Amino acid sequence: MNARIFLAQLKMGLILYTRIPSALFWIVAFPVVMLLGLGTVFGAKDDAGRKLVWEQAGPRSPADALLLTALAERGIVVDPVSPADAEARWRIGKLPAMLEGAEGHYRLRINGYLVGQAMQTEALVQEAFLVAQARAQGLADPARIPVTINSPGGHHGGPYAAYLLPGLIGLNLVMIGVFSTGIVDVTLRAKGGYKRLATTPLPRYVYLGAQLAVRIVVVLVAAALLLLVGAVTFGIFNQGSYASLLLVQMLGAACFISLGYLLASFAETPETYGGLANLTFLPLMLLSGVYFSLDAAPAWLQGLADLMPLTPLLRVLRAIFNDGASLASQWMGIGIVAAWTAVLFAMASRRFKWV
Amino acid sequence: MTDSLAIEAIGLHKRFADVHAVRGLDLQVGRGEVFGLLGPNGAGKTTTLEMLEGLVPADAGRIRILGMDWRDRGTAIRTRIGVQFQSTELDDKVKVREALEMFGSFYPRARSAAELLRLLHLEDKAEAYQRRLSGGQRQRLALGLALVNDPELVFLDEPTTGLDPQARQGLWELVRQLKNEGRTVLLTTHYMEEAEALCDRVGIMDRGQILRLGTPRELIAGLQQPSVAEIEFLGSAPDIGPFAARWGKAVEAKGAIWAVPLTDAKKDLQAVLVCIEVLNLPMQQLHVRRASLEDVFLQLTGRSLRD
Repeated sequence: MNARIFLAQLKMGLILYTRIPSALFWIVAFPVVMLLGLGTVFGAKDDAGRKLVWEQAGPRSPADALLLTALAERGIVVDPVSPADAEARWRIGKLPAMLEGAEGHYRLRINGYLVGQAMQTEALVQEAFLVAQARAQGLADPARIPVTINSPGGHHGGPYAAYLLPGLIGLNLVMIGVFSTGIVDVTLRAKGGYKRLATTPLPRYVYLGAQLAVRIVVVLVAAALLLLVGAVTFGIFNQGSYASLLLVQMLGAACFISLGYLLASFAETPETYGGLANLTFLPLMLLSGVYFSLDAAPAWLQGLADLMPLTPLLRVLRAIFNDGASLASQWMGIGIVAAWTAVLFAMASRRFKWV
Repeated sequence: MTDSLAIEAIGLHKRFADVHAVRGLDLQVGRGEVFGLLGPNGAGKTTTLEMLEGLVPADAGRIRILGMDWRDRGTAIRTRIGVQFQSTELDDKVKVREALEMFGSFYPRARSAAELLRLLHLEDKAEAYQRRLSGGQRQRLALGLALVNDPELVFLDEPTTGLDPQARQGLWELVRQLKNEGRTVLLTTHYMEEAEALCDRVGIMDRGQILRLGTPRELIAGLQQPSVAEIEFLGSAPDIGPFAARWGKAVEAKGAIWAVPLTDAKKDLQAVLVCIEVLNLPMQQLHVRRASLEDVFLQLTGRSLRD
């Protein structure tokens, strides 16, 4: 009997999901768009076609020619401009770096807004300059320390998309809990939907279990789609076991769906809930390292982030996906998430009101 | 306590923060009876209903539904009652047939969606999203959801509020059908004509108590003034002051019409006409009608229902 109700509720819930385009977009399509978008923008090969604007008044000297050759060897395309034009272009603010001067008296201007991009150019320009000086004196090219690009884990030379993908899977777990679950809960209670259900013999645990199941199915479908797009577009694959990935996702879903119900118990209207949800979601997301690593942040902030549920969850997901880590090796992160789940679930159950 | 009662409530009290919503309410509804709880907004009708439906615990008093107690037979009661709320509260994207099937799945035995669609005259809306329904269709669907388990006892909370006269008639037909099928119905309304048209017995509620109980006919017959003269004028109604002073008894201006309660139609009517003659009022028409439940409410509380 209850199994039959559960299945009917699960089916209905999934059908309803497919009828709400916005819900499908945020949970299923949005992560794919992010993966494709960010993965492509930040995944471009660093040394291909980097442009440098060289402002020069007079004719080029032999020293300039040597530098030009050395720059070209490093994949830098030089764009020569007159001083007047240079100033105008610099003001627009789109140039990361501009080289000025001639015959060994060079100056490199770096755009403060685009330091990240410009510093990579700077390194290459400095290297080219050393090479050019050596060649001018008839010496051999200075030696470089050999570099290999090597992402931690199995993705040798893996693109940014490989860092991003497990993050997006984790973020989706937060989205489904905080936005898709909590808001539905508040709306149903405000509209009297729960009240109507409470007058039927439908057991509450069956109803809530089905709600949970619907959402887990939706996130898993979204994750499967992400994995597929990742494999096809960027050639990235899960390095660990799919069972581990699945288990960690279920744990994360339970954690954040509990959080959604808990937040919902503090809001009377969907509007209030929207505020609460953003208040919780934004810090979680910003501290979590979904989009970038928090490595450069102050230590206290990192320590705080480590204790939040999302950061360890993402670390575990990345460890599995990128490094092929076993669940046992991730006991600490899993433990933190499990502890959060237990606390949130207990509080949410305690505060959950049917009517 | 006998099993011939569908609903038995004794000494119910409910207090919310600073509002004493229900204060010492007793109610007995027999099986097969259509009972109306009548009263203005805020009289405590909905709270009473929610206590009877097992949604809200009473602060004091006891309730038996179909001979059972909510405290130990909740699921059994829920299986045998049907509940309709004031507004439909389904997901916007649920289709009519799906809603009926989904609610049916909650019960061990349920009527088929096809049968209910036919009963509710919603066959051509079976595949429509519920938010696309008109007010009347939505109320019929809500009633259908309340009937999905073939209930013995049906609760209807203001089933026709906000409906146009035609849709209201349609719903009344359905309620009469419920009675013919032998079901017990407890409905709340603030439309007096609805209570008169549908209910075997009526309880008039105000400020958390039932003021008077009986058949609509008994309640009206119990009035001091069982008939009402209604006076209409050419153009707008004149100032009622001079007439009221001369008449010396209660009189009410309802828009362009004056309503004058009559104790003894034969004698009082002449006195009314004399007043009109003396004051030279531009009367156009005069009707005498039987007092309604509305007048009962007015006389019991001193207030009009729609205030």
